[in-house]
Amino acid sequence: MDNRLDELFLQVQKPARYTGGELNSVYKERERVNVRFAFCFPDLYEVGMSHLGMKILYGLLNGVEDVWCERVFAPDEDMETLMRERGIPLFGLESRDPIGTFDFLGFTLQYELSYTGILNMLELAGVPLHAAERGDRCPLVVGGGPCACNPEPLCDFFDLFTLGEGEEVNIELIDLYRRHKAEGFSRRRFLREAAQIEGVYVPSLYEVAYREDGVVDAVRPRDGAPERVRKRIIADLNACYYPDRFVVPFIDIVHDRAMSEIFRGCIRGCRFCQAGFIYRPVREKSVDTIDRQSRALCENTGYEEFSLSSLSTSDYTGLGELLPRLLDWAEPEHTNISLPSLRVDGFSEELAARLNVLRRSGLTFAPEAGTQRLRDAINKNLSEEEILDTARKAFSGGWTAVKLYFMMGLPTETLEDVAGIAALGQKIVNCYYANPDKPKGKSVNVSVSVSCFVPKPFTPFQWEPQDTAEQLKEKQAHLRGAVTTRKISLSWHDADVSFLEGVLARGDRRLGAVIEGAFRRGCRLDSWSQYFSLDAWLQAFEEAGLDPAFYANRRRPFEEVLPWDHLDYGVTRDFLIQENRKAHDSVTTPHCRQSCSACGAARWKGGVCVENRSDPLQ
Amino acid sequence: MKTVRIRFSKTGRARYISHLDLSRVMQRALRRADVPLWYTEGFNRHPYVTFAAPLSLGFEGLRETMDFRLVEDMAFDELVRRLDEAVPEGIRVLSAAEPVMKPGQIARARYRLTVDGGLGRLEEFLNLPEIGAEKRTKKGEIRRLDLKPSLLETQLSGEEGKTLWELLLPCGGETVNPSLVWSAYTAFSGDSRRAAVLRLELYDQEGRPFE
Repeated sequence: MDNRLDELFLQVQKPARYTGGELNSVYKERERVNVRFAFCFPDLYEVGMSHLGMKILYGLLNGVEDVWCERVFAPDEDMETLMRERGIPLFGLESRDPIGTFDFLGFTLQYELSYTGILNMLELAGVPLHAAERGDRCPLVVGGGPCACNPEPLCDFFDLFTLGEGEEVNIELIDLYRRHKAEGFSRRRFLREAAQIEGVYVPSLYEVAYREDGVVDAVRPRDGAPERVRKRIIADLNACYYPDRFVVPFIDIVHDRAMSEIFRGCIRGCRFCQAGFIYRPVREKSVDTIDRQSRALCENTGYEEFSLSSLSTSDYTGLGELLPRLLDWAEPEHTNISLPSLRVDGFSEELAARLNVLRRSGLTFAPEAGTQRLRDAINKNLSEEEILDTARKAFSGGWTAVKLYFMMGLPTETLEDVAGIAALGQKIVNCYYANPDKPKGKSVNVSVSVSCFVPKPFTPFQWEPQDTAEQLKEKQAHLRGAVTTRKISLSWHDADVSFLEGVLARGDRRLGAVIEGAFRRGCRLDSWSQYFSLDAWLQAFEEAGLDPAFYANRRRPFEEVLPWDHLDYGVTRDFLIQENRKAHDSVTTPHCRQSCSACGAARWKGGVCVENRSDPLQ
Repeated sequence: MKTVRIRFSKTGRARYISHLDLSRVMQRALRRADVPLWYTEGFNRHPYVTFAAPLSLGFEGLRETMDFRLVEDMAFDELVRRLDEAVPEGIRVLSAAEPVMKPGQIARARYRLTVDGGLGRLEEFLNLPEIGAEKRTKKGEIRRLDLKPSLLETQLSGEEGKTLWELLLPCGGETVNPSLVWSAYTAFSGDSRRAAVLRLELYDQEGRPFE
């Protein structure tokens, strides 16, 4: 196969996406390996290689002697065309063996728009798209990652999903597989037993009945599968595997740096944010662990930069102790530390200077909403005064540009809230001109980026109707009218893309036919605007006899059975209903360290739920 | 501060590392090898590495060079050993020495083109009185030129069902890329085979190996 591939590599853009051989990539002898695992990222190399979850599982699985985990990404258009022309099947980057012969194809489900890409990769691998059509010799197609919290639209295509964090459950799954393989593998028997592992969801063992109006009536397990499948979490991150080396790519990728994970989960509970709910409870690594892991990664990769990764870096309780510790070895080695998701306030000037905080991250804020009322409704606890204060600080430090992130189409949003986005931008512009030391002759630029809100499962907004593309476009026009200065520049997300994302995020199993229909019409790499075609998707909906608005734009009553109700992410339905009601009353909820709101995640007795605290745990 | 020139080969999977990416790959290898590197001053400090003559994407090279600067002395054999351990598969670090020539002195390069099968119409091609080719200039214009005077030395041989074509071409000022020569041949002959390109050595004007 090598010669045929080399011919291809010379004819495509960025061949190093497909060649393998990067530093720290893992090679094993085929004869000594018992389980072949393809970690598949359904997007281009540059995107997939930036993903921390892949680096963790790649290292973890390859740490098991008889398991060989390889990387597979979606080929770009030029490569795909050549592969199809010449009948070259999708291959693992390391061995260059066709992945159709592997034991596992593990797809990470990071965003809904990657779903057609999964079908494309299965087809390129020569694996039957439908799980029901796969014989005992086909690879097991498994999925995990955030979108596994509602994998229903993908159920036709997957043998099983793992819910929650993968470090333990993947090893248990492989252990079970190894036993079955030795005894003569039967797919059905394996899947039935796999369903007994906590965190493993085998969709074929669940029957979904629908009401006449299309709403799910009931989901019934069979063959002893559990009523509800509960996600897995790692209780103690300090004791958990973390890679001491990453594969270092040849080509430039989206996040080309070492990443040190400092905690999982988020204390904040912003009501629109799925990650804030499905990764609960917050669990931190110790300063010692982070220091040791960061240093090992830098030494083994040669990276000149590492980032501290989490959902909200400023909320790490040991930040004041951690940063000087890291800087003490990073500075002499010319290694930069980057701090994404950071609130710039609360830093001493000395530390800010050592970290070059502003230069690296630029000055960005995510107020998400234009008025305090709406920020309260979404539980984004960031006040206007805090925003303006930081802007002032930055301007007196010589900065002339600020970037703001907002969402449009949030529940309870009115045109007043939309106009509030422009008003907040204007106040920041005014801050700049109120600064007596502002650089002479220099103007300010406030860039406002507005995305479209998409209601997601396991959030308080999972019952909310999503604004239609027409409503969103109207609001965009309103905002454009409300901006009266050229010092504010506006940019949008495509409302059509968000609409489709919303449909798939809260969809049910019937959407499998739609995803397949869209794929047959040429859809893949939908998250790349040059490839996205809403028309193809709408045709696929029509062909399947389904109305996308049913999934996206309808208010769902609290009593309704949701397609993902048989999956359990810890946060209870009652808690989410209570949070939804508070949103409609514009009432905020304190974060996990202020007081416990009894969301349900305390069942794991981990992290913030058991930290020393004054209030009793509920 | 001392400048070091290392020699390395870049073959196999490493031939798909582009020139731009190679610079990043080597900087990181130097960091992993814990070489006492000199960093540029200023806002965005980085190690300073330079390559005498870029190698096209997809070509292999047997004796490529890279220069960088050290802030403290380090034994060359130790440097070679550590750096060779730190580079990715397909790159081998061969030797280190103080530079003798300036990169600007490079005037020629020797390549070996390998194709599957026999000679095809290569001999006929080499006997042409004039070898027309089209070269796209940096401004995007197409320029006609005669390659014949640029084929400074050329030698054909066969080996295990393959044809080897060694070529000495101008390199540095007026560079002639071997793929330009090969495409002139395919245009002339209709032969659609692909040639694997290996760069063997760089030379100065007098034909002395670059060191």
